[in-house]
Amino acid sequence: MNRTLSIILRRTVSLLITLSVMSLIIFLLVEIMPGDVAQMILGQSATEEAVSALREARGLNDPVMERYFRWVGGVLTGDLGESIYMKGVTINSILWRRVGHSLVLALSAFILFVPLSIILGVLAGVKENKPTDSIISFLGLATMALPEFVSGVFLITIFGVQLNWFPIVSIIPIGESLFNNLEILFLPALSITFVMFGYVSRMQRSSMIQVMNSDYIRAAILKGMNRKYVIFRHALKNALLPTITIIGMNMGWLFGGLVVVETLFGFPGMGSLLMTAIKTRDVPLIEACVLLITVIFSLSTMITDVLYSYLNPRVRFQGGQR
Amino acid sequence: MKRKAITSILLVAVLATSLFAGGAKETALTTKNIRIAEQVPGLITPGVWDGQAFSMNSSIYEYLVEINTSTGELDPVLATEWSTADGKQWTFKLRENVLFHDGSTFDSQDVKFTIERTQDPSIGHLKKQDFEIVASIETPDSHTVLINLKEARPTFIYQLTDYNMCILSSDYDYGSLGESKPMGTGPFIMKQMIPKESAALVKNTSYWQAGLPKVDALSIYFVSDIDASVSMLEDDRVDVVPFVTPVIQTRLSKIDGISVISPYQEQRFVAMNVDEKPWDDNRVRLAFKYAMDPQNIAKSVTQMELGNGAEYNETPIMNMLSEYKPLPLRERDIEKSKALLAEAGYPDGVTVELFYASDHPFGKELAQTLKELASPAGFNLDLKGYTRDVYLSQYWLNVPLSITGWGGRIDPSMLLALAFKGGGAWNESHLADERVDALIDKISSEIDPDKRTGYYHELQELFYEEGPLLNVQVPYLVAISDRIIDYRQPLTMLPQYKYTDIK
Repeated sequence: MNRTLSIILRRTVSLLITLSVMSLIIFLLVEIMPGDVAQMILGQSATEEAVSALREARGLNDPVMERYFRWVGGVLTGDLGESIYMKGVTINSILWRRVGHSLVLALSAFILFVPLSIILGVLAGVKENKPTDSIISFLGLATMALPEFVSGVFLITIFGVQLNWFPIVSIIPIGESLFNNLEILFLPALSITFVMFGYVSRMQRSSMIQVMNSDYIRAAILKGMNRKYVIFRHALKNALLPTITIIGMNMGWLFGGLVVVETLFGFPGMGSLLMTAIKTRDVPLIEACVLLITVIFSLSTMITDVLYSYLNPRVRFQGGQR
Repeated sequence: MKRKAITSILLVAVLATSLFAGGAKETALTTKNIRIAEQVPGLITPGVWDGQAFSMNSSIYEYLVEINTSTGELDPVLATEWSTADGKQWTFKLRENVLFHDGSTFDSQDVKFTIERTQDPSIGHLKKQDFEIVASIETPDSHTVLINLKEARPTFIYQLTDYNMCILSSDYDYGSLGESKPMGTGPFIMKQMIPKESAALVKNTSYWQAGLPKVDALSIYFVSDIDASVSMLEDDRVDVVPFVTPVIQTRLSKIDGISVISPYQEQRFVAMNVDEKPWDDNRVRLAFKYAMDPQNIAKSVTQMELGNGAEYNETPIMNMLSEYKPLPLRERDIEKSKALLAEAGYPDGVTVELFYASDHPFGKELAQTLKELASPAGFNLDLKGYTRDVYLSQYWLNVPLSITGWGGRIDPSMLLALAFKGGGAWNESHLADERVDALIDKISSEIDPDKRTGYYHELQELFYEEGPLLNVQVPYLVAISDRIIDYRQPLTMLPQYKYTDIK
């Protein structure tokens, strides 16, 4: 347990350093994006005077580092600033609603792909080189190779247009909340499942094959133990460890990398908000979204590490791999 | 133990997400409701309004006058009468018993405030330049406004139809509230806005025009992706999607219950910079014009036939305007084009960079078509496409050849001085021709409409022979559900939802 605590402490320090460096990188990357924010906002009909007035009003003429420290100071006190477009509207009031929506979508996808991938991965591993394995492996490769915008269009065509079972767009009607419209989650969640299924099931399969070929499993089978008992009580427990790592590592992507899926389905989540922010060069909003994604990615990686060390006795007791 | 811990974590996660995502419980809207998907707005405060969110702002704010979509004439809105004897002093009689959404009364001070605000340097008003001509504004009574101009401008009234010239309350703090709580005298009132996501507008029950608006509410979704907007229309989640492309029009033509209409056209100016070689020589400009094929341009760029949704000419005047003089379309003549180019000193052809905004509708299609058409004559166009903000801020106005989107103007003189007069702020072709300048001055100050039209014709003839311009007119397309009745949107780009009904 002490070792787990020390891992948590080390990872937390490392997380803080990562976030500090990332905040500077994010700020500088956004800074060097081509184009002029004020010109972008005001459009073609803007006079030089209007562009200059807007730059001054939004503090865009201040030195870079001054703006960086002002931003970091704000972030540390929970103030993400105002959208460059909406004076008087804080980013906090825009962002967290979208974060909530994305969280629900990510969880829905999680509930779909995790059991599905693990069950089919185990099945493929146990039935190695048999038709079941071939079919599952082919499905995994096929879904993995399909980008979200392709699988999304397929899903829209089949479930939305042909069968008319689910809405083809995932908007929340004005005056209603996401929880009154849970059906809008299905197609985007399934689209994410397509991407994740390949990675997770293949990892589960190879891990299962490795464990099933290990001495202690062979000994258990030779002892005459029930095969199902051996698979689910002995093999699966160990075979799940690499899968948990893969799932944990992808949670960051699952949450922050939904730009394509959310944009395709018109889902009002953080991914589509980031897309809008980038398209309109809304610098403070881009920074807030990317920083939040970084935090989530770093946190999910840290939690995965800690969980792995907790579940793996070799790491917990012998210092194993770090 | 582990299982319990994992279950608890999942439960907490689900509870947390429901707290976040639930947000404020919103009340359901009334029954007669038009649902619109439009682009995510940028700045929406009048004065710096960037031209997105037309459905929203045009329903909240109003103007002194509006364009009648049937006749093309001006209709009274907040002004009931207007007159000028010499084009220099303008008198406006204002409508009485009009209320702003905050309950305050509309009067002459509000008009004075709105026009004077254009010159406030802290705002960076987009119409500052156009209203510098105003010398003074008098308000002899609460519903009369006298505007004195520095020089005669017989078409000054049209400046007041610009979307940034909606009438604002002199008592409202637009600097602080213009982005979050837009407020005017319009037919709809902002009920709720979720930034970057949606806006709910409800009928203004105190609206001055009896029987209008015809519907109870407008639900506006801000969607960044046009394909997602179109999917919403196909899925019957919205009734109107503005700004669709011809490709989408073709796709929607196969679907029952949806129509695509073109309320007006926009312009794409292909401007040749006469300050630079090779365009300083009129023979090169003519050679380029002879290499063009208007029918091909219309079809390739807009997928429409010339004269049936798309237009082409070599002057700054749109074909649809009364000031337009129908000059013959130049026949494509590659041999003549080559000969002109050789005569100008380019017997082996010439390489020119063509700059354009690649993400602006019709931009890259037009650039590619020009390149292909000009190539056989010896023009090697080197295409330089950039995102619109980069194009406008870094290249526009300083490049040899460019494609730029220009909105139509009801009064073309509003555009001439800016784009074609020597020293004009947006003179992308760097034209500085005394004959052109003199004609533009005459057009701007001539009170007699017939004489003014004559000057317009002279100007177009000059452009036809020597001008540095190709004017490709492309359709502005709106996809609407067949349940929508009487959708109106004039050249000012402002939809008039107060007249629109829904089955």
